[in-house]
Amino acid sequence: MKKQLIIIFTLLATLPLWAEEVSFTASAPRQVVAGQPFQLTYTINQRYKDFRTPDFNGFEVLAGPYSSQSSSTQWINGKRTSSFTITQTYTLMADQTGEYAIQPASIVVDKQKYTSNGLKITVLPPDSQPQSSSQSHNSQSGNQTRQESHDVNLSSDNIFVRTIVNKTKVYEQECIALSYKLYFAGVDVMQITNNTQIPEFKGFLKQEVDLGELQTELEHYNGRNYKTCILYKTLLFPQQSGELRIDPASFEAVIRVRNQTQVRSIFDNFFDSYTNVNKTIKAPALKFHVSPLPAGKPADFSGGVGRFRLTSSISTDELQINEAVTIKIDISGTGNLKMLKTPAVDWPDGFEVYDPKVSNNFKTNQNDVSGTKSIEYLAIPRTSGNYTIPAITLSYFDIDSKQYKTLRTPEYTLQVAKNGNEPETVVNTFVSKEDIRQLGTDIRYIHTDTLPRPKTELIAYGSWQHWLCYIAPFVLSVALFIGFRRRIKENADIRKVRYKKANKVAQRRLKRAKALLKDGKKEAFYEEIERAAWSYLSDRLSIPTADLNKENIAQLLREKDVDETLIQKVNDVLSTAEFARYAPAQSEHQMEDLYNATVALIEKLTV
Amino acid sequence: MKKFAIILLSVCFSAFGMAQNLFEQGNAAYAEQNYREAALLYDSLLKSTPVAELYYNLGNACFKQGELGKSILNYERALRLQPNNKDVRHNLQFAQSRIIDNIEDNSRFFLSQWVTALRNLLSRQTWMWISIVAFILCLAGIICYAFARILALRKTGFHTAWIALLLSIVSLLFANSLHHRDTERREAVIMREIVNAKSSPDKSGTDLFLLHEGTKVTIRSTVADWAEIHVGNNIGWIPLNTLERI
Repeated sequence: MKKQLIIIFTLLATLPLWAEEVSFTASAPRQVVAGQPFQLTYTINQRYKDFRTPDFNGFEVLAGPYSSQSSSTQWINGKRTSSFTITQTYTLMADQTGEYAIQPASIVVDKQKYTSNGLKITVLPPDSQPQSSSQSHNSQSGNQTRQESHDVNLSSDNIFVRTIVNKTKVYEQECIALSYKLYFAGVDVMQITNNTQIPEFKGFLKQEVDLGELQTELEHYNGRNYKTCILYKTLLFPQQSGELRIDPASFEAVIRVRNQTQVRSIFDNFFDSYTNVNKTIKAPALKFHVSPLPAGKPADFSGGVGRFRLTSSISTDELQINEAVTIKIDISGTGNLKMLKTPAVDWPDGFEVYDPKVSNNFKTNQNDVSGTKSIEYLAIPRTSGNYTIPAITLSYFDIDSKQYKTLRTPEYTLQVAKNGNEPETVVNTFVSKEDIRQLGTDIRYIHTDTLPRPKTELIAYGSWQHWLCYIAPFVLSVALFIGFRRRIKENADIRKVRYKKANKVAQRRLKRAKALLKDGKKEAFYEEIERAAWSYLSDRLSIPTADLNKENIAQLLREKDVDETLIQKVNDVLSTAEFARYAPAQSEHQMEDLYNATVALIEKLTV
Repeated sequence: MKKFAIILLSVCFSAFGMAQNLFEQGNAAYAEQNYREAALLYDSLLKSTPVAELYYNLGNACFKQGELGKSILNYERALRLQPNNKDVRHNLQFAQSRIIDNIEDNSRFFLSQWVTALRNLLSRQTWMWISIVAFILCLAGIICYAFARILALRKTGFHTAWIALLLSIVSLLFANSLHHRDTERREAVIMREIVNAKSSPDKSGTDLFLLHEGTKVTIRSTVADWAEIHVGNNIGWIPLNTLERI
C-alpha cells in the first residue's frame, strides 16, 4: 500500500512539473549559402496561442509556415514519460551575403508570454566557379557526372586540412591557439579514423582543448563553400625563444565513394552502391617566431605572461599567541597560470611559517587558459606584539602593453595579544639562540664624524732627530756608567770580597782572642771568639749578622750541604762561647780548647 | 710676533673649517646616493688634508659607482695611514672579493708572509716610536742591572734589556721596510678593466697573461711608458697608464 502511495505521489509531483516547463526554441543552420533555401524551425512543447514571428529581414520566405504535431507517451518500468511537440517550419532563402540576426518569436501559453531564442545566420557567397559536384548533388545524376565526381573526389581542392593559428609572432610563454581544421566539399566524409599523427610540439608546453563532439560548419574559403570541422585544437606556450617549427600533422579520413560498376539493372541506377576509401590528409607545417621577454625583468618576476589580477584577504588582524593566521591570495586572469611561481610572504620574525597551500582552478578556453590560482599562507605567531606583514608582490609580463607589471597586496598589520591562560610558551622559557644571520653583504658606510686634521710627524723616519733619539739616551747612560764606575765595580765585587776576606777577618779576630787569652781577659776573649764565628758565617753565607741566630744557622748550613757533624760543632762552639760569656768561671784549659775548636771549624767550614 | 701667530692660527682654523664643510657636503651627496659628486668633493679635499677617513670615503664612493680599481686604490691608501682601521679592512676585503683575478703566490715562504702581515699591522711612525721606546727601555734595564744591589732587580734589569733590544731592532727593521715601501711606491693597482701583460715593453710583445681591474701588483722596474710588474708567480710588462701607484 505504502509503495503505491509513493508512486502516486511521485506521479503527481512530476506531472505538473513538466507541464509547466515551456520550451520554445528556434533552430536554423548557422551558415547558409546565398541563393540556397534553408529551413527555420520553431519547436514548442506546449499548446500555445498567438504565435508571432519576427520580420525575417534579409530573407525571403519561400514556403511556410508548415505546422506539424507529434506526441508520444512512454511507459518504462512503470514510469510514464510523455512528450508533445509542435514544430513550425519556414523555408527561407537569402539573397545577400552578410551577417543576419533573426529576432526571437513569441507565443502565449496559459496567458503568459514566452519568447524563443534569437538566431544569427551568416550568409556566405555562392561558389564562384560551380563545381560539378555540390551539396545538392543527388543520386539522380547521370553516370558521367558520377565518373567526374569520383575523379575530383580525392583531389586536395575538395578535401584538405588547414593549420590555423591565431598568431605566429609571439613572446616566450605567450599563449597560441593552434587548430587543425578539415575542409571538404563535394565529398562525403564518413569519419576520421584514429590513425592521426599530431606532431611533437617541441619547445612548447601543450594544453589540449576538449572539442566535444565534432561539429561541422559551412565556411566560404577561396571562393568556395566548404563543410568544415575542427579535428584537433591545442593551446601552446612557447618555452624558448627563436624560430620554432611545428612538423606537419596527418589525418586519415574515411570517404564514401560511389562504385563505378556497370549498370546491371534498373535498380542499380536507383540505389547506388558505395565503398569506403581511406585517405591520408596532411596539414602543412608551420613556423613561429618567438621573441624573448624584454630586458629589465623585475627581481621578483614570477614567470607569468598574460593578464593577471591579484586579490588578497587575511583571516584576522587581531589574535592571540599560538593562534593561526592565514593570508589568502587569488591570482586570476589569463595566461600561463600553470607556470606562475608562488610568491613569497615575508613573515616577521617570531612567526612559525608553514608551507603555503596552493589550489588551482584553471579552465582551458578556445584561445587561452584562464582561471584562478589560490594560495593560502599559514603562520602561527609565537610572540606577542604588533607586526606588519609587508605587501606580497607578483610581477608578470603584461601581454597587452608589452611591459612588466607588478601587482601588490596591501600591507597587513597584526596585533598579537598575550594569551592569559597559557604561559608565554616556549619562547619565554627557552630562548633559542641564533647567530646573526647574514642577509647580504655590502661595504660599510662612510666615515661621517668630523674630519681629523692630517697628522704631522713629530720626527720623520731617518731624520737626524730620529737617530738622536737613540744616541742621546745611549750617551747619557754611558756617562752614567763612567761617572759611577766605582760603584759598579764595588757592586760587582762586594760579595766576592766579603767571601774572600771572611777567612782573613776571622784569623785576625782569633789572633786578638789569643792575645786576650794570654792576658787572662776572659770576657773579652769569649766576645772576640763569638764575633769571629758569627762574622765568618755571615760573610760566607752572604747574610747580615743581624739576620743570623742559632736556630736558622743550622738550617742554612744544611741547605748548603754541610756535613751534619760539622753543623753540630758550629752549634757547640757558638753555645759554649755564649754560655762562657755570661758564666766566666772557665779554666784556661777550657778556653784553650774553645780557641782550637774555633780555628779548626773555620778551617773546615768551606762553604 | 704674538699677533702674527694668532693670524696664522685663525687662517689655519678657517681653512680647516672649510674642509670640514666640504667633507660634510660630500657626505650628504653620498647619503643621497649622488656618488659621483661625493667622489669629486672628497678628491678635491685630499690635496689639503690627506687623511685615512677621506681616502676611505672616496673608496666607498668609487665602489658605489662601480669603479673597483679606484676604490681598492683608495682603501689601500687609507690603510697606509691607519693600518688597523677595521672599516677600511672590511671594505677592502669586500672590494677584493669582486676582483676577477685570483692571485696565488706560491713563491713566497709562509713565514715571510706572516712577517709582512705583522709589519703591515702598524704604521711606520708607530714602529719607529716602538723602536725608540724599546731602546730606552733596554738602556734602563742595563743601568738597573749595573747599579741595583738587590739580586731580583738586577735579574729583571738584565732580561728586560735583551728583550727590549730585540724588540727595538725588529721594529726598527719594520719601520725601515715600511719607509722603503712608502718612498719607492712599488705597489700599484690595475685601473683598467682588462690589461694584457706583454713579454717585452712594447706593443708587439707576446701576450703573457691577462689582468683585471683592482688587482694589486708590484712594480719591479719601468722603461719609458712601460712597467715590469710582478704579480703572483707571473712577471710581465704593462703600460704605465693602466696602473696607479698606491
